[in-house]
Amino acid sequence: MKRRITFAQTPQTPFAADLISLSASTLSVQNLAAAREDRITLSLSELPDELRNVLEQSHELRLRWATERSFDAIAPFASRISPGLHVHYTPQAKNESQDSICTLLRTIFVDHEHGEAVVDCTRPEDSFITTPLVSTRFATSASLQYYTRLADLRSLVAYIRRTACHQQQSGGSACHKRADTLLTADSVDIDYDSISHAVTISGFWAEPPADGWTEEVSKSASDNDKVEFGVLTAEKGIERTEIQMGGLLAVVGEDKKMKPTMFSFPSRHHPLPSDATYSVSFSKPTGLHPTMSITMQPPSLQRPPAPEDATCALHTYLTLPSSVFGDQYQLGTKDTLFLQSHHLAALRAHAGEMDLEAPDWAVQRWGSTWLFELDSPTVDEGASVLKNWTATIPLHLRYLPPSDTGYRTAQVPWPVVFWACTAEDGTKMGVNPFDRTNLGWDGLFGPRTMFYQLHPETGRLVEEIEVPVLKLNNGEGLVTAQIIELGTSFVILLGFLWVLWRLIQVGFLKARPGLRERHEKKE
Amino acid sequence: MALFDSSLRVFAAAIVLRLALLVYGGWQDANSAVKYTDIDYLVFTDASRYISRGQSPYARDTYRYTPLLAWMLLPTAWEGGSGPLASIAFAFGKILFALADVVAGWLVVQLLCRCYRMSTERALRYVAAAWLWNPMVANISTRGSSEGLLGVLVAALLWATLTKRAALAGVILGLAVHFKIYPFIYGVSILWWWDAQQDGAAPRKDLSLTSHMLGFITRSRVVLSVSALVTFTSLNVVMYCQYGMPFLHQTFFHHLTRIDHRHNFSPYSTLLYLASAGGASYRFETLAFLPQLLLAVVAIPLALAKKSLATAMLAQTFAFVTFNKVCTSQYFIWYLILLPFYLPSSSLIRKPSLGIAAAALWVLGQALWLSQGYNLEFLGLSAFVPGLFLSSLVFFGINVWILGIVIRDGGTEEFRSSA
Repeated sequence: MKRRITFAQTPQTPFAADLISLSASTLSVQNLAAAREDRITLSLSELPDELRNVLEQSHELRLRWATERSFDAIAPFASRISPGLHVHYTPQAKNESQDSICTLLRTIFVDHEHGEAVVDCTRPEDSFITTPLVSTRFATSASLQYYTRLADLRSLVAYIRRTACHQQQSGGSACHKRADTLLTADSVDIDYDSISHAVTISGFWAEPPADGWTEEVSKSASDNDKVEFGVLTAEKGIERTEIQMGGLLAVVGEDKKMKPTMFSFPSRHHPLPSDATYSVSFSKPTGLHPTMSITMQPPSLQRPPAPEDATCALHTYLTLPSSVFGDQYQLGTKDTLFLQSHHLAALRAHAGEMDLEAPDWAVQRWGSTWLFELDSPTVDEGASVLKNWTATIPLHLRYLPPSDTGYRTAQVPWPVVFWACTAEDGTKMGVNPFDRTNLGWDGLFGPRTMFYQLHPETGRLVEEIEVPVLKLNNGEGLVTAQIIELGTSFVILLGFLWVLWRLIQVGFLKARPGLRERHEKKE
Repeated sequence: MALFDSSLRVFAAAIVLRLALLVYGGWQDANSAVKYTDIDYLVFTDASRYISRGQSPYARDTYRYTPLLAWMLLPTAWEGGSGPLASIAFAFGKILFALADVVAGWLVVQLLCRCYRMSTERALRYVAAAWLWNPMVANISTRGSSEGLLGVLVAALLWATLTKRAALAGVILGLAVHFKIYPFIYGVSILWWWDAQQDGAAPRKDLSLTSHMLGFITRSRVVLSVSALVTFTSLNVVMYCQYGMPFLHQTFFHHLTRIDHRHNFSPYSTLLYLASAGGASYRFETLAFLPQLLLAVVAIPLALAKKSLATAMLAQTFAFVTFNKVCTSQYFIWYLILLPFYLPSSSLIRKPSLGIAAAALWVLGQALWLSQGYNLEFLGLSAFVPGLFLSSLVFFGINVWILGIVIRDGGTEEFRSSA
């Protein structure tokens, strides 16, 4: 087991070396104000059996989770995903995905209140969507994708407590405590691939607890287990593609004192200034055809500080549950009038459930993903954008099952919005020790693309849409299923008999003219 | 009105109306984000593009039509030109549909004059009102919906039948059924209508049951059936060989397996939503085809076809649409082409109060439903029950009442076709 603890401070935070003390076997921090990343690397043999069995049958498995609260993602942890649980999975051999991955996900992610699995998955082929790839040659992203809304990680923590912590001979309570820290994390990544044969769990906390981080980290009992520690500040590098980090590093139990350090590397993800924000809403009334509005503040619309010769474009990546969908033909149009009226440039990629007619219960997979290039306002050189800019994406709702209120709620996570800029050939993003890939959208770009992330405005990053459905009172009330069934049948039968009676009159009673005359008179 | 003295003027006006709409549509498409062109037209033209690249038209999602349609629209896939030439190429299908409208109108006028002994002026008046100058008809074809093609096929079918061209009628019938399944209902009426008397034989009396049954088999009926079957089968075989299962699935089986759960005018729509979501216990909806087919295929042809073929076909269409599991406004155009045969001597015209009441109620039923549909679709209100449920039943009731009038009119002595 390897552990890496990184505290990242902004350049504005006063550097406080006295809050950290290192002894021969322990390192302690006191009231440290910083963002934090905790990364644990485990070998397969250190894992619970059921987990190891699934992983051994996978080529790669990557879980990405983010909280529904907005949080500051500072360098070098600037990348973002839509809130919820994203699973990216590539089976060992093509077309040989294992159902056990679904069993595992259903075991780990359980709705603690209802005791139900939140992951609706039986076979990966039926429940996961196939990721569109820019080029299979690069294959930077996994082949199958799953998403579900997941407000917190309580079920994952409970799983770690009863499996990983249970396995350990000693230090059970310390294990519980460490697992519990995930409850406050803003994002968690779990990575496995068959090349490294190791599992990495990374947690990210954007904000320290109220009085800062206070913790004691001891040297591990085993010599193989290593704890790396760092307090770093990230700044723009000399090259525009780079991030420069400086601060103190130590390996607990090996180093006698913290080592000052300064290094820089090209980075895939860069943050924009904190006022470069966006917000997402649906204009009311949403009806059955809600329109998603993405409103960007003027600082979001300035070309990002990429190298002069780089080409940059604003993008958004939507993760839509199956109850909400886009029309690929409507959105994929090349009609500039339509696109301009929505401030869209083009639909660049889409994957998943595309059926335009099916009700939600007839849809097998979890939903769909959409990558749009957004139109950005043209500004003269040197001038700055003054007004907000809103891009709109027309969407549609599927029919949902009847309910007793006549409504159901569709939860739509906020999309991520970012500038994508080309980087020079030969830029090696992989050397970044904090590099993050397999986010769903990064694989849709070439491997040497830089991303400048817009920040979601504060608040909950999930929009709720009220979906009108058939209102059914179970047993009581005016309109029950029975009324609809019997009422429809009765009216149709009545109509049928009436038409039949008319036909009998003209067909068989024609021989009796008196009858017809009477009819004529009646009118 | 002097206008109706000349067919030239009536048809010229119909053509000018369509040309104006075509040009306007092109302008709106080029200048507004809200398009004049129907979404279905984009489906057809996409399918044509696939064919032009040697692919199957079914590569386009929601292309649920015969490949014939995409073949006919191949010029729209032409990408060589620019400017007005490209616009005309794109509009080729719409021009074709609009032309089909006009030809359908011409055929109906011919029939009214020749077979119904109507004066040209009167025939023109009715055809203009119901079809040629009907803004709904012109709008649908110029927006690029293929429903107008059905109009010309049905008009041609009636023309071939009333002018006693059995083989041709069979070919048109086979083609129409291949195009859009529903015209098969006309086959029954036409067969029943086309007895030996229609072929000029003297009426026979006091026959035994056996000779009565043998007498049913006439040369015309055999020719019509065989030519319809051969046309329908060979078209399907050709399409199947070319495009395989997707052709059969999308053109025919889709209609059997589809879940028609989205709200529409049909009285079944709420029930189908309920049943599709698994909330229905009696499964009445599985029997929905029974009343529909009993009326449209058996009872109406038997009772009306020999009295007035066109009115029987109108009543069949009306019954088919009214009792269908799905009903959208494009289906209403199916019976518009048959109205000029029925209306002139109908009680709706003879008794204006009845006619006005029928029209007013029909529009009211539509308005009632549409207001509920608007509440659901655009305001997001849960209008399924009682709103949409009741208004679709009310609309059904109004349609059934009107159908009753059509049937009674079709059965009355003076109404008989003089063909």
